Amino acid sequence: MNFIISANTDIGLTKDTNQDSLSVKVINTSQGRMAFAILCDGMGGLAKGEVASASVIKAFDNWICNELPKLCQGPIEDSIIRKQWEKIVTEQNEIIKTYGAKQGVKLGTTVVAMLLTQNRYYILNVGDSRAYELTTEIKQITQDQTFVAREVSLGNMTEEEAMKDSRRSVLLQCVGASDSVYPDFFFGDVQGNAVYMLCCDGFRHEIMPEEIYEKLQPNVLMDDYQMSQNSIYLIELNKQRKERDNISVALIRTF
Amino acid sequence: MLEIGSLVDGKYKILNKVGQGGMSVVYLAMNEKANKQWAVKEVRKDGVKDFEVVKQGLVAEIDILKKLSHPNLPSIVDVIDTEDAFIIIMDYIQGNSLNKALAEYGAQPQENVISWAKQLCDVLGYLHTRTPAIIYRDMKPANVMLKPDGNVTLIDFGTAREFKEKNLADTTCLGTVGYAAPEQFGGMGQTDARTDIYCLGATLYHLVTGMNPCEPPYEIKPIREINPTLSSGLERIILKCTQRDPNDRYQSAAELMYALEHYEEIDDLYRKKQKKKLNAFITSAVLTVALGVTSAWGYVSAENKKSENYDDIIKTAITTEEYYEAILTDSTRTEAYLGLNDLLSSDYVLTKEEGQQLLKLQAGLEEKNNAGFTDNVNVLSLLKAENPEGYNEVCFEIGWDFLSYYDTEIDRDRYENAAKWFEQMKDSDSENGAIASIFYDISECTTKLNQLRGGKVIQTQELDEQRESLWNMIESLQSKADGYELDYKIQVWIEIDKLIYNNVGDFLEVVTPDVLITMLNTIKSNVENIEGSNPDIIKLADELEISVAETINKVETAKE
Repeated sequence: MNFIISANTDIGLTKDTNQDSLSVKVINTSQGRMAFAILCDGMGGLAKGEVASASVIKAFDNWICNELPKLCQGPIEDSIIRKQWEKIVTEQNEIIKTYGAKQGVKLGTTVVAMLLTQNRYYILNVGDSRAYELTTEIKQITQDQTFVAREVSLGNMTEEEAMKDSRRSVLLQCVGASDSVYPDFFFGDVQGNAVYMLCCDGFRHEIMPEEIYEKLQPNVLMDDYQMSQNSIYLIELNKQRKERDNISVALIRTF
Repeated sequence: MLEIGSLVDGKYKILNKVGQGGMSVVYLAMNEKANKQWAVKEVRKDGVKDFEVVKQGLVAEIDILKKLSHPNLPSIVDVIDTEDAFIIIMDYIQGNSLNKALAEYGAQPQENVISWAKQLCDVLGYLHTRTPAIIYRDMKPANVMLKPDGNVTLIDFGTAREFKEKNLADTTCLGTVGYAAPEQFGGMGQTDARTDIYCLGATLYHLVTGMNPCEPPYEIKPIREINPTLSSGLERIILKCTQRDPNDRYQSAAELMYALEHYEEIDDLYRKKQKKKLNAFITSAVLTVALGVTSAWGYVSAENKKSENYDDIIKTAITTEEYYEAILTDSTRTEAYLGLNDLLSSDYVLTKEEGQQLLKLQAGLEEKNNAGFTDNVNVLSLLKAENPEGYNEVCFEIGWDFLSYYDTEIDRDRYENAAKWFEQMKDSDSENGAIASIFYDISECTTKLNQLRGGKVIQTQELDEQRESLWNMIESLQSKADGYELDYKIQVWIEIDKLIYNNVGDFLEVVTPDVLITMLNTIKSNVENIEGSNPDIIKLADELEISVAETINKVETAKE
């Protein structure tokens, strides 16, 4: 299985800094090609959110470089990935918390990380960034760890109310601002000829999944240039619709 | 930034930095002259966007806070407005914040938490009752200092409301907004005193369970699901504090305070105890009713049995003793008395012995009790108490039998015996009562007459009075008798005849012979007109006819 990748981010209309961080890469391992993508949406009062998001990206990058090759020496098991990624997130939570306490600020970041091997995907999620799978349809893999999503799942709120609710940006947890972090994991089989997308909440607030599918479905994304162009198109569409947040999207196309 | 060792306002020497918030730094300072420690909070103006906008509000709010005085609040003693910072001088609170205690020791003992809760509730009540009301909005363990003496103080109080508004345009995390009540996220109504109640409830939850409600599962569960040894009363309080709808929470700190002071009473254990008490009461109540019913049933059955026995005896009774037995079985029913009376007078003669047997009723019947001793049962008084009408009837019938059939030569004897019975019922409203009353009076009268006649000195006037009244009685007796059954009527006439016969001399002193003869003739003609098949009555009527004729004869003789 082969991968084409792209990553695009935009500061958006109103923010002074871009606190999103993202990274996508294709890795050659002893078990064949793999693709890894991670996207963090940082937050923090005094423009420190990018510190948090970057810190998490670097930690995962470090894992890709140092730990993944070791794992590839044997069969990769879901539980090993889960254990190691949980450890990274917990450590990052402590590091960012300590940093915040020192600086007298509260800062934190969401994380959505995805590893695609030849046959399986591994996704970790904390917060409200999302992973999608686009094949013949668009499917959201992750679940938002937000206050409104929980209200919806508890039946206290409908989807429509959640879209408009003033609390839609309140996360249940994030790396760096929660006492403890409990990441969600999603494992599954990789589809050939599919697009895997990671995006921050800014990317999806103003545009509909159908619009995303129209521009990012596997059939229209034939090379990395096209992927990037179409991502930028959607980012600009967001800005036209007055999205105020930073906007980021990472894509992996399988074939 | 204030420098360590620098003097603020010429008095407060900054010793060291003790805390840092988003926009402020807290230092420990020493007033060297007074040798007292103070906390100095520096609110940096460059830390706040549009400081000039919030400044007025901040100044106003600090002015309000300066006036506060409560044992669980640090007092603000001074506010200094410098070029780039507000410097707030306040009490230095020794100790650690409760979130440190949580981090170090986990869940806190329930008694401590309740004691803290009362203090915090007191503070909130104090704040809420200021005018205008002050809403704290940021109750959380990190803002509560645990002093070495075990009491708590609410800190982080110098910041203006504007600083506390949650900026929700950006992505935020529950962990950073504290235990925000649902309405604090905006769009769900104003924050008010009940917001603080929510936050206090969440704080108590965290303290008593060690579970941060801002962490998975992000909800405030009943505390006993986490630690079953906790009080269910406290569980109820916390659940009520943290209801989503402010209207479902305690509506004021005072209400919450009351609940906290009585948490044991809404405790399950307490309720169980109360329930036990209630159960005991219900059990005994049910038993009372059940036993009551049983005994009522037993009583009714016994009564039924008694009445069955009674009926059996009456049905077959042919001797005095059997009737006595029936009377003793149930003294309150009249059948046995009347049966006894009928038995004794069935031959139209009541002998002296038979009379004694009736009089025995008045004296009381003897009965063997359970112990084998003989009890005297006053059956008539029992009958009188339970069945007054029956008593009247029995007395009348027995009295009548004495009057009619008592076997004695002396009429006075008859009257006196009958009077003993008539006396018992002569005041009753019935016609029997009226008749009895007259016979009773006649008895009295004849006794009196007899006494007067036997007197050594003849008191003519009194004799005449008695004679007259006796005559009046006879007249009224005759008029009353008209409405009676035939056998009673005959009996009355016989009496009138006998009375006249025996007292002709006396009556002639007060009435003319013609009057006597007229009455006797009336009776005579009445008797002659009697028709009937009852041989006893025919016999009586025949005798009476002869007797009346004799009396008329006597009157005629006396007239001359």
